[in-house]
Amino acid sequence: MSGAILEISGVSKAFPNVRALSNLSLSVERGEVVAFVGENGAGKSTLLKILSGDYRADSGTVVLDGQDISHVDPKEAREAGLRVVRQEPEIVPHVTAAENIYLGEFPRRGNVVDFREMRRRTADLFEEGGFTGFLSPDAMGDRLSPAQKHVIEITRALKPGVKVVAFDEPTSSLTAEETERLFALIRRLKERGLGIIYVSHRMHEVMAISDRVAVLRDGHLMGVLQTAETTQETIVRMMVGRDLAKGFERTDTTRPNETVLEVGGINSIWHRDVGFTIRAGEILGFAGLVGAGRTELAKVIFGEYARNSGTVRMLGREVPPGSPAKAIRSNIGFAPEDRKGEGLILVRSVIENASLAVFSALSRWGILRSRMMVETVAPLIASLDIKTPSLEQEVGKLSGGNQQKVVLARWLAAKPRVLILDEPTRAVDVGAKAEIYRLIDDLAKSGMAIMLISSEMPELLALSDRIVVMHGGRLSAPIEKSAATEEGILRLALGQAA
Amino acid sequence: MANMSDQGTAGQIAAPRASSNPLRAVTQFIGPENLSLLIALVVLVVLISTQTPYFFVPRNLLNVGMNISVVGLLAVGMTFVIVSNGLDISVGSIAGVASISSAIMVTYLHTVPGGILVGVALGAVLGAVNATIITYLRVNPVVATLATLSAYQGLAFLIAPGGRPIGVLDQNFALLGSGRLFEVGTFPGIPISFILLVVAAIAGHFVLRSTVFGRSVYAMGGNPAAARLAGINLTRMKYYIYILSGALSGLAGVIVTARTSSGQPTSGTAGLELETITSVFLGGAILAGGKGTVVGSMLAVLLLGVLSNGMNLLGIPTFYQLVAKGFLLVVAVAIGQFRMARAEKQQAKTAAQVKS
Repeated sequence: MSGAILEISGVSKAFPNVRALSNLSLSVERGEVVAFVGENGAGKSTLLKILSGDYRADSGTVVLDGQDISHVDPKEAREAGLRVVRQEPEIVPHVTAAENIYLGEFPRRGNVVDFREMRRRTADLFEEGGFTGFLSPDAMGDRLSPAQKHVIEITRALKPGVKVVAFDEPTSSLTAEETERLFALIRRLKERGLGIIYVSHRMHEVMAISDRVAVLRDGHLMGVLQTAETTQETIVRMMVGRDLAKGFERTDTTRPNETVLEVGGINSIWHRDVGFTIRAGEILGFAGLVGAGRTELAKVIFGEYARNSGTVRMLGREVPPGSPAKAIRSNIGFAPEDRKGEGLILVRSVIENASLAVFSALSRWGILRSRMMVETVAPLIASLDIKTPSLEQEVGKLSGGNQQKVVLARWLAAKPRVLILDEPTRAVDVGAKAEIYRLIDDLAKSGMAIMLISSEMPELLALSDRIVVMHGGRLSAPIEKSAATEEGILRLALGQAA
Repeated sequence: MANMSDQGTAGQIAAPRASSNPLRAVTQFIGPENLSLLIALVVLVVLISTQTPYFFVPRNLLNVGMNISVVGLLAVGMTFVIVSNGLDISVGSIAGVASISSAIMVTYLHTVPGGILVGVALGAVLGAVNATIITYLRVNPVVATLATLSAYQGLAFLIAPGGRPIGVLDQNFALLGSGRLFEVGTFPGIPISFILLVVAAIAGHFVLRSTVFGRSVYAMGGNPAAARLAGINLTRMKYYIYILSGALSGLAGVIVTARTSSGQPTSGTAGLELETITSVFLGGAILAGGKGTVVGSMLAVLLLGVLSNGMNLLGIPTFYQLVAKGFLLVVAVAIGQFRMARAEKQQAKTAAQVKS
């Protein structure tokens, strides 16, 4: 086994507000498993998308077995031999497994699909992969279990011509037994001389299956370690450890002891027995990996999603579930993560968006008083420093940071006792970020209780008084600011002991 | 945070103020997007007037006013529906049901107010049925009102005795359709149905623009998820909107009966939905919802009415009118889509310019 089968050199990629990858160089040898690890936003999925041809790198090259695939489209990348097994299988429900595997590449006899050949080849691929008996080529797409769907994704990747396979979080829907079967397959692929990339958050799996571990942080490659010669702790330490949000510090306050929000025993499709409390003037930070269920928790509390059991109490009074309107009446506010999809009405004006939650308060006999609207909204626009040519400007025309501030303005106008912030600085430029931090600090100072969901560790650590970590549907015990470390939080988020 | 006393300096933002310039005030009222519509209207009027002397005379202009009152009423309601990201293609059929029912009330039960009331009330009820299908059965509004278009038409025939139109001979009732006010000397008088339209349009415009209800319509049309998360009850709103549309359709049907002095299950009300929907899109509404005004819709209704009237005066066969109406609907929606695409491109440019 000699010569790297995949050579990534100097790859960089930037998006409008974010530098996703910086000068990344890495190679994968034949018959080797390289694990990619890193926090949310470290750049793992961006890198995978560049490899698969979905994104084009701004600079640098990707060479697969001597062939330059830096500027190809996904179909060409697949044909060249680079295959990605997606985390979420995309299966067409009403066709068979065999058809799903050969989607877009059906074997033909003249102009007609050769179903028999397709079935035969699928059976052969299953044999090679050790899947015979696990599922049938004729099984219907919508009748497959998550693991079976995953097998289809894998089999697609293993069609002839494969040179490098990248697995993206492959075990999230697998049982322990199925995971073992996957590992056995990966070992067989190693023997065939393929290059394998394994992206995962699960450290024990990474330690078990990989030969080397590439650690990404903030778009940089921090290092590549020999798995046999390192420990989980070392890897995790490499994943964290950047400067806290530069220069931002919470103003010191003595907080009143009044408990404002009490959440207890929440059970839902995503959560098991989740509970916490937030006091007036306190910021409770919610950490966890993407997909851990924090946004869903916020929506359950806000009445947008249903819960099987559990209570939400505002200042002792129970908040009835069922609709956001009820939560709003109980003085809870919610600034969603997806501000364009769920937060803003892009075709309407700044003043309308900002006053959306308080229309009834700004009206008399059902008629909106525009003077009241302006009196309420203009000061907020000013104090948030929202840059807009006028109050009538269509919100869709503002920059991301200003749009986010409009969402915040809406909830400030509603003067809630509890404000839920879901990724408040996502896709917001650095300048606006600092302003938003200052604002959140001011809000807490004025006595508002804040539930802060964030995937940016420095932000969470700088802003929160206490932090809870979500993992596997459960919430950890709260960690005081003084005792919180990035490493400790990340370990809880990964499901390791604190 | 700035306190309220800073309000004077908080205005680096220009707050919307009443315009001192009358021209600017008119523009603000009409809406900048409707300006092109207004210009098109003026051009059309000028064009027709050069081709025939019979157009720009009081009698004819007031006739146009009378002719557009049915579609106009429907368009007021339809504006609310389309802005909320819905659609109601059953309006014509609802008008048909109202037409025949009011005729029955007037002819057999000898009550004019009763006739009007029943027409409007039935329209509201049928609108509520639409709303139920859309909210509780979760059927897409286009499919739902397509189904009710057919069902209500059948209903109208079932209500009509023997399935045929009924003659209505009540003089007072006929006033509603063809009566006029201020008939003085040579002045032909303003048709009552046109006055009704103007009242409804002003009320509709005011409600949509200035009330909590109206602004909530814009919100739920522009982004239903955001509206719900801001506390707006989408189900309740949809009921109000479709009931409003239904009631106005009912009123329109009553006017058709009054004007033709007969309760018609269909022929007075067929094709109304096409013209109504075309008007609302021409008036600035977009397919995605969240935009559109009553003023715009009324301007468009006027435009279509003038076009129709002009073509009649010039002896152009009706079939050309149908082609023109279809063409205008495509143009209206295409312009809307073009505007949205241009706005999106602008947004992407703005986003790309912000460097981290």
